[in-house]
Amino acid sequence: MNHKLMRPKTEVLLGLLSPGLLIYCFIVVLPLFVSFRYSLFDWSGGINMEFVGLGNYIDLVQDGDFWFSFKNNVMIIMLSILGQVGIAFVVSALLMSKLLKWREFHRVVIFLPVVLSAVVIGFLWTIIYSKDMGLLNWILKALHLESFIIPWLDDPRYVIYTVTIPLIWQYIGFYLIIFMAAMQSIPKDIFEVADIDGATGIKKAVYITLPLLYDTLKVAIMLCIAGNMKVFDHIYVMTGGGPGKSSTVMAQYAYDNSFVMFKLGYGSAISIGILVLSLALILLSRKLMGGNKNEA
Amino acid sequence: MKSNVLKLWCLALVVAMTFLTACGTKNDDGSKTPHGEQEGGNGQETSIELNFMHFNVKESSEGGTLAFYDAMEMFKDNNPNIEIEEEILGHDAYETKIKTLAAANELPDLFVIKGSMVSAFVESGLINPVNDILEQAPAWKDGFMDGVFNDFKMGDNIYALPYSNKSTHIIYYNEDIFEECGITSFPASWEGFKDAVGKIRDKGYTPIALGNKGKWVVGSCILSTLGDRFTGTDWFMSIKDRKGAKFTEPEFVDALAAVQELAVMGAFNADMNSIDNMQHKTLYYGGKAAMFFEGAWAISSISEEAPQEIADVTKLAILPAVEGGKGDAKAVSAGAGWGYNMNAELQGEKKQAAVEVFKALTDEKQAKISMEYNAMPASNPGEYDESKLTPLFKQYADIMAEAKSVPVYDVQLEPAVIEVMNSGLQELLIQATTPEELAKKIQKEYE
Repeated sequence: MNHKLMRPKTEVLLGLLSPGLLIYCFIVVLPLFVSFRYSLFDWSGGINMEFVGLGNYIDLVQDGDFWFSFKNNVMIIMLSILGQVGIAFVVSALLMSKLLKWREFHRVVIFLPVVLSAVVIGFLWTIIYSKDMGLLNWILKALHLESFIIPWLDDPRYVIYTVTIPLIWQYIGFYLIIFMAAMQSIPKDIFEVADIDGATGIKKAVYITLPLLYDTLKVAIMLCIAGNMKVFDHIYVMTGGGPGKSSTVMAQYAYDNSFVMFKLGYGSAISIGILVLSLALILLSRKLMGGNKNEA
Repeated sequence: MKSNVLKLWCLALVVAMTFLTACGTKNDDGSKTPHGEQEGGNGQETSIELNFMHFNVKESSEGGTLAFYDAMEMFKDNNPNIEIEEEILGHDAYETKIKTLAAANELPDLFVIKGSMVSAFVESGLINPVNDILEQAPAWKDGFMDGVFNDFKMGDNIYALPYSNKSTHIIYYNEDIFEECGITSFPASWEGFKDAVGKIRDKGYTPIALGNKGKWVVGSCILSTLGDRFTGTDWFMSIKDRKGAKFTEPEFVDALAAVQELAVMGAFNADMNSIDNMQHKTLYYGGKAAMFFEGAWAISSISEEAPQEIADVTKLAILPAVEGGKGDAKAVSAGAGWGYNMNAELQGEKKQAAVEVFKALTDEKQAKISMEYNAMPASNPGEYDESKLTPLFKQYADIMAEAKSVPVYDVQLEPAVIEVMNSGLQELLIQATTPEELAKKIQKEYE
C-alpha cells in the first residue's frame, strides 16, 4: 500500500517521538534501574548505604509475609478477572442487545466510578461497610437479615473479599467501554445470519461475540492482571493492610517496608520482586490463553 | 524469535509503567517542597528565610496547637527579619511525609520529629545533636522537666527539643455507666478490672471503645503501660540499650496474653481494627461505650467535642496494679513524643535564627501559655493561672503528679520493630496469632 509514501522521514519521526520517549525514560526506565541499584544495599535513607549484594533478594524469597501478600494479590486478580472482566462482558452484551432500555443512562452510571479517585472510593466503601452507620448493615437490617452481618473489614477470613468488591465495582465501567467498542466493530451481518439460524441471546453471546472478542478479552485480562498487581490505594484507605497483615498486598508491603520501617533497600527489592512476579503472571496468562497464534 | 524478545520487553515496560506511576506521586511530593537552601547563599538579603514543617493544623482546638500559634505570632512580631514559611499537614500525613522527605534527603529547615525516627535520621546524617545549642543557654536548658529528653537520646546526645510532655495512657471512663453496672469505684486490681469489663459487657455496653485502624493505639495507649505492669521498666531499658533482654521473656508474653484476654472476653467493639481513634471517641460520646484508652491529648477533645452530659460524667484513671507483675502500679507510659530539630545543613545566621524559633516554642513563657491552654508542656511553667484549667485537666495533672513516667514503646523502639509489633497486635486482637508467636516474631525483627 502507500506505506512508504505516508511515512515521514526518520529524523522527523525521531524528533517527534523523542520528547515523550525522554519523559518516559526519565520517569519509568531510569527509576527502575535506580530501584534495582537500591535493592542491592542495606539502606535506610540518607548517606549510609551498605552493599549487601543479593542479600535482600535471598531474604525476600524466604519472607513469608511477602508471599502471603503475593497470595492476596493473586486472589484479587482471580476475583477481578471474574468480576471486572466477567461482569463487564455480560453487561456489554446486554447493552448491545435490543432488550435494554435507557442504554446511555446505564453506560454513564456504570462508567462513573472509573473517574473517581481511589481514595474517594476507599472512604466511600469504608462508610458503606461501617458497623454502626454503614449502608450495607442498614440494608441487611431492613431486610431482617441480621444473621448475615459480619465485621466486614475486621475478619481476616473475609477481608480480602470485602476489599476486592470496591475494586471490582470501580473498574467494571473501564472494561465495559473496551468491550463495547470491540462489540460494535463486529460486523452486523454475522448477527443477522445468526438470527436467521435461530440463535437466541445467550447463544449469540457465547458462540459469536465471545470468539470474536477473544483478542480484546486477552488484552483486558492482561490489563486486569497488571492493574491488580499494583493495587494499593483502595486497600490502604480501607484497612491499611489490616487486620494484622490479612489484607496487605505487595505494593502495600513494599510501602510499609520503605516508608514505615525505613528499610528502603529491602523495599526496593520488594518492588523489583513485584515486577518480576507480574511479568511472570502475564506471560503465564498469555500461554494459557493460546499465546500469539492469532497475530500476524 | 526476535519479535518475541521484543514483545517481552514491551510487556516488561508496560508492567513497569503501571507500577512506577504509583511511586512517581511520592517523588513528586518530595520535590514540591521548597528548598530553603538556594536563597540563603546570597548575603545581600537582610531577612532570613526559614521553612518550617509541622502538624499544628490551624483549625485544631487542641491546647498545644493554640499555644503553638500564640508563640509563633509573638515570635514573628518580635523578629520581623526572620521570615518563617510554614507548611502544615495533618498529623498522620505529616509523619508519612517527613519520612519520605528524609529518605530523599530533602528535609525542610525546621521540622518536628518523633523519638522513633531519631536513630534512622542520625544514621543518615540528617540531624545534629542539640546539646551545644542547649549548653549555650543554660537557663533555657534548666527549664526543661526531668526526663523529657529521654525519647530523643542516643548515648549522651540529645536529638530534639521537646515541647510537650504527655502521657499516652489514660483511661477515660463514664462514671454513670460504671454505676449502672454496679461498679462504685474504678477497680484497683487487674482481676477487678476484668471483672468490671465483664459486668459492663453483660449490661450491653461496649466496655472499651477501641479504634486501632492506625495500628498505634493498642501499642501506644494500652500495651506500653500494661506491658510495664508485667515486665517492669528495667526490662524495657535493657531492650532499648540491647543489654540482653528479650521479647520472648514470659513477662512480656503475659502482657500480650492479657491484651488478647481482653479481646476474647469481648472488651472491645467488634470493628476495632477498621475504625480509627476519632471514631472510637464517637462511640464513647454516644454513650455506647464505658471507656476508651488514649493519651492525654484526648482531654481537650472531651471538653471540645463531647456532649455536655458525657463530658460531665467522664473521669480519668490509669490501669490498676497487676498481681505478680514486676512493674510499678503508678507507672504511666509518657514522654515528649515529638520534638523540634533542624536540618543538619543549616549554618550561620540561619542556624541562629532557628535556635531563636525553638527557644520561643519551648521556653518558660511558652510553657505557661501552654499550661493555661490545658496542654502539658515539656518545660516548667513556673507560675500560672490555675483557674484556667478544666476539671478534667486538673484531674490529669493530679494523676501525673503521683505517676512515674515509663517509656512509650512506639516512640522509643525502632520503626521496623514497631511495625511488626503493631501489626501483630491487630492479629492478636482477632486471635489470628498467639502471644508466643507474636513475641517470637517481634524478637526476630529486633535481632
